[in-house]
Amino acid sequence: MEIPYTVTARPDTGLWNAKIGVWLFLASEVMLFGGLFSSYIFLRLGADYFWPIHELNVKMGCFNTAVLIGSSVTIVMAWAGVKMRNYKMYFWNLLITILCAFLFLTVKFFEYKSKIEHYGVVLKDGTILLGHQPEEGYRYKFNADSVTLNFKEADPPYFMRFATKPAGEHGGAHDEHGSAPAEILPIETVKFKTESGKETTLAPADFQALKSEAKAAKKDSLKLTPVQPLAFHAKPSKLASHSEKSLAFLDGTLIEGKLVSDKMELHVDVIDTRAAPDADKSMAWAIFKDAGWKKAFDESREEHLKKFNETHPGQDPMKSDHYLREALRFEVHGETPAAHEAKHKEGVGFFDDMPWAEHHYPTVEIEGKDIQRWSNFLPKWNTYYAIYFTITGLHGAHVLAGALVMLYFLVFNSRWFKTDPEHLANRVETGGLFWHFVDLVWIFLFPLLYLL
Amino acid sequence: MANSPEEVAKHVKTYLKVGAALLFLTAVTVWLSYVDFGTHSRNMAIGLTVATFKTSLVVLIFMHMNHERPLIYKFMLFSMLLLGVMFTLFVFVHDDGLIMRGYQAVFGKH
Repeated sequence: MEIPYTVTARPDTGLWNAKIGVWLFLASEVMLFGGLFSSYIFLRLGADYFWPIHELNVKMGCFNTAVLIGSSVTIVMAWAGVKMRNYKMYFWNLLITILCAFLFLTVKFFEYKSKIEHYGVVLKDGTILLGHQPEEGYRYKFNADSVTLNFKEADPPYFMRFATKPAGEHGGAHDEHGSAPAEILPIETVKFKTESGKETTLAPADFQALKSEAKAAKKDSLKLTPVQPLAFHAKPSKLASHSEKSLAFLDGTLIEGKLVSDKMELHVDVIDTRAAPDADKSMAWAIFKDAGWKKAFDESREEHLKKFNETHPGQDPMKSDHYLREALRFEVHGETPAAHEAKHKEGVGFFDDMPWAEHHYPTVEIEGKDIQRWSNFLPKWNTYYAIYFTITGLHGAHVLAGALVMLYFLVFNSRWFKTDPEHLANRVETGGLFWHFVDLVWIFLFPLLYLL
Repeated sequence: MANSPEEVAKHVKTYLKVGAALLFLTAVTVWLSYVDFGTHSRNMAIGLTVATFKTSLVVLIFMHMNHERPLIYKFMLFSMLLLGVMFTLFVFVHDDGLIMRGYQAVFGKH
């Protein structure tokens, strides 16, 4: 069956059908993104923290903006190419548009990745330390005296198998690349003794035997004692609770013994004292053993204060967001205060904030009791990242969808160039309209999320 | 409508110029965001004005809204009205203290 009005205009609307269709769709898209932008306004007005400004990688965002604008030009040129019956112009412009879409998504992937790998730690006084965690991440280090299995769970204990270490691996031996995590002991190889003195392991067969024994004795749990000394490096998110003497994993397995350390190791790249009552008394300065860091912070603050007083004479700097961000949010550029100072003097390189740049940051140890909360920069960190990932994720899905549609046109409809060029032109125009919409959403997203 | 090959050919240069203008304005937006205009609201107003100008270029030139059929303007007008409502909804929470609470939490009560 021939679909009517794909090329010629329908008399009553004055338009070919697909054009009405895509504009109606765009009207609904305006509502969809409008709702999310409206949420952005609410979240921003209601935020009880300093809204991040220039915290995302501006260069990558700027590059992606240029990529999208470039692709907006090429898609309209591809359409013009069909209209002007110039196949090369059509083909290459459409191909470049598709490649731009995938380039955009690739850059976005690296932006997301850098957020997933970056952590924020809120100290008890409100100071925020930003940085990267060593390879193993944050772990409670614990020496085990006994392991109590919980038979309400169907399977052998799950979470402890990722945390079991040979004893004596808590030492904090660091090489130059950070800490060297001890190998995880395969749980099947660890020998335990039951209360009756029988030797066993937690291999599935042994576990089933233990379980049937317990069932016969009408017991829900069973206490095992490790034959050789045993340690656990437990991820906080896999624990239901912990104390000085016990760890309880989410699956109900209880480890009794002694907490050796709940210190978090962090390679710090930003010290944000804006939310601390007094930047001079921030907990950060006790955590950084080298007093040079406080001195570097003071010098940088002085510098910004001088600049502020010159440009805004008579104004209160503490009421300027701009000043607070520049002066109280201290960016670290070296492993030691001296290295930081040197870097500061020579100037931070243009590409220093790119993912491929090599960095050396000071490593600090933060006591568990000093931490209010911590997380990587995902939606749970704050509402800014929640709306950031929601809108850019949805926008990214649109970029992917647009790229696939255009790829379809390129592969399956290009032959129409000879047989039915006006139909092809209309298809490219419809796809193009959608593509321009994706571009204009980004034109607002870029300043709102990256710059302002 | 720009339908004949000759007319389309005339527009090609315009498309390239608009593309260049959009790239230039992107650079301007980035630069302006680093300038301290006194209050951050001013930065917001200036940045969003540039962004709005950029989107109008895209809509008018690339999406051909400078010469479209009336029916499409009607759709979009309706859509824009609802968008306007969504963007002004927050004024209704002002009495709820949402704005002041956020402000005080960040800057303290002074």
